[in-house]
Amino acid sequence: MTFDPVTLATPFFILAVIAEILAAKFAKTRTNYEARDTAASLAMGLGSTIAGVLIGGVIAAATLWAWQHRIFTISMTAIWAWVAIVFLEDMTYYWFHRLSHERRFWWAAHVNHHSSQHYNLSTALRQTWTGGVNGSWLLWMPLAFLGFPPSMIAIEKGISLVYQFWIHTEAIKRLPAPIEAVFNTPSHHRVHHARNPRYLDRNYAGIFIIWDRMFGTFEPERDEEPPRYGIVKNLGDFNIVRIAFHEWIGIGRDLMTARSVGDVWGYVFGPPGWRPGGAGTTSKDLRRAWRERAGDAARPST
Amino acid sequence: MQWRAPGSERAILLDEGFDPVGLSDVTLAFLLQTGASVVAIALLVALAAWAKIARPTPPLDEAAVVDLLAFEFPDAPIDAVWFAADRRGAIVRSASQALLIYRAGDGYVTRSMPWSDAVSAAPEDGALAFRLADVGAPRASFVIGDGAAWPPALEAVA
Repeated sequence: MTFDPVTLATPFFILAVIAEILAAKFAKTRTNYEARDTAASLAMGLGSTIAGVLIGGVIAAATLWAWQHRIFTISMTAIWAWVAIVFLEDMTYYWFHRLSHERRFWWAAHVNHHSSQHYNLSTALRQTWTGGVNGSWLLWMPLAFLGFPPSMIAIEKGISLVYQFWIHTEAIKRLPAPIEAVFNTPSHHRVHHARNPRYLDRNYAGIFIIWDRMFGTFEPERDEEPPRYGIVKNLGDFNIVRIAFHEWIGIGRDLMTARSVGDVWGYVFGPPGWRPGGAGTTSKDLRRAWRERAGDAARPST
Repeated sequence: MQWRAPGSERAILLDEGFDPVGLSDVTLAFLLQTGASVVAIALLVALAAWAKIARPTPPLDEAAVVDLLAFEFPDAPIDAVWFAADRRGAIVRSASQALLIYRAGDGYVTRSMPWSDAVSAAPEDGALAFRLADVGAPRASFVIGDGAAWPPALEAVA
C-alpha cells in the first residue's frame, strides 16, 4: 500500500468546498462561486490527475534513477531527514513556482491555475494538465541525488499540495501575526493570485512565506487595495481546453512570426508578455507603469 | 495458465506470476475513482449554482465602465462609450482604439482593437461579433437593440 497525501485528502477537499459554499450562502462569508467557473476549476483538477497518471511513470523512473546515483543514503525513518526535506522541498517549490511565473515556457503550464477570476477552494483544484511535459519536475531531482528516497520526496510534495489547498479562500481574512510571518496564508496567497500591478509576481511560497521574504518577492495584502483575481488578460469563456492550452497555442503562433533566434528564445523563454523590440508588456512593465502613476502610494512596503 | 475475462469467449495465456486480478483491480480502481470524481464535480457545481453566490452583475453603466477601465487600461483616455442593448458589454472609443468590455460569467473581459476595425464590423442577427487575434478570447459579442445602427452615436463621458 502506498501513502499518498493528496488521495487521502480528496474527501476533505470535497467537504471543504461544500462547507465554503454553505458558509457563503448562510453565514454570508466573503466568498463567491460562479457555477461555470467552478465546473471549469473542478474539471481541470480531474484532468490534471489523469495527465499525472500518464506522465507519472516517467517522473518516478527519473527520480528513482537519480536516487540510485545518490551521494548519501538518507533513512526515511530519521526525524532530522523529514525536517530537512520539509524545508528543502519547500525551497525547491518556491523556485519552481517563481520560474513558472517568470518564464513563459513554464508559465504556459501554470497559467491555468490563475485563469479564474474567483478565489475560492475550487480554484485550488484548477491544476495543470501540461506540468509534466515542460520538465519542471527536474528541479526536484537534486533531492534524490542528495539521497532522499523517491517516496519521501513524493510524500512531501503531496503534503505541500494539500497544505496549499486551504489557503485558496477569502473566508479567512488574517491569521495571528506569528503565523503570517512564517507560513503561507490565505492573505499571502490572495496577493499571489491577484492581477493588481502591485501584487503581480509576488508571494511564490508553498508552505513557508520565508522564502519570499528572503528572496525579495514578498508583498503583504493591503486592505485599501483588494486583490482582483485572474490573469492580466482574462480568458473570454470557461472552455477547459482553452484554459489548459491557450498559452501553448500562443507560443506556437508567436513562433510562426519569429524572425530571429533571439525572437524564438524570447517567445519561449522570455517573461510572459515579451515581444521583440520591447513592444510587449511584461509584469515588470506593468509594475513600472503603475509605480509611475501611483507615486508615493507605490512605495515598497517590506 | 489461462485467464478469461468475465463475459468474454477468448482466453488469454498467462505467464507464471502474472496477476490478472491485480491488473483489473488497478484499472477498476482508476475507473471508479474517475467516475466518482465526475459525480462529485457534478454535485459540487449543482451546489454552487443552487447557492446563488456569484458576484452581483448589475447592468453596466458609465461609472462601472470608468472603474473597469481605470484598472484595465489606466492610461487610455475615454472619449465616448456605447453600451450593448442588454448592458452586458460596452465599447469605448479611446483615441484610435476601441476598448471592448464584455461579461464572462460574473466577471468581465477586456480587449482592445483598432477603432477603424470596430466601426467597420457589420451587425448580424441583432449582435455585433468581433473576431479577435487572441487565443484566450477569440470572440467578443455585443447585443444591438432593435432598429439600432452600427456604428452608433456614442455617449460622451463626462
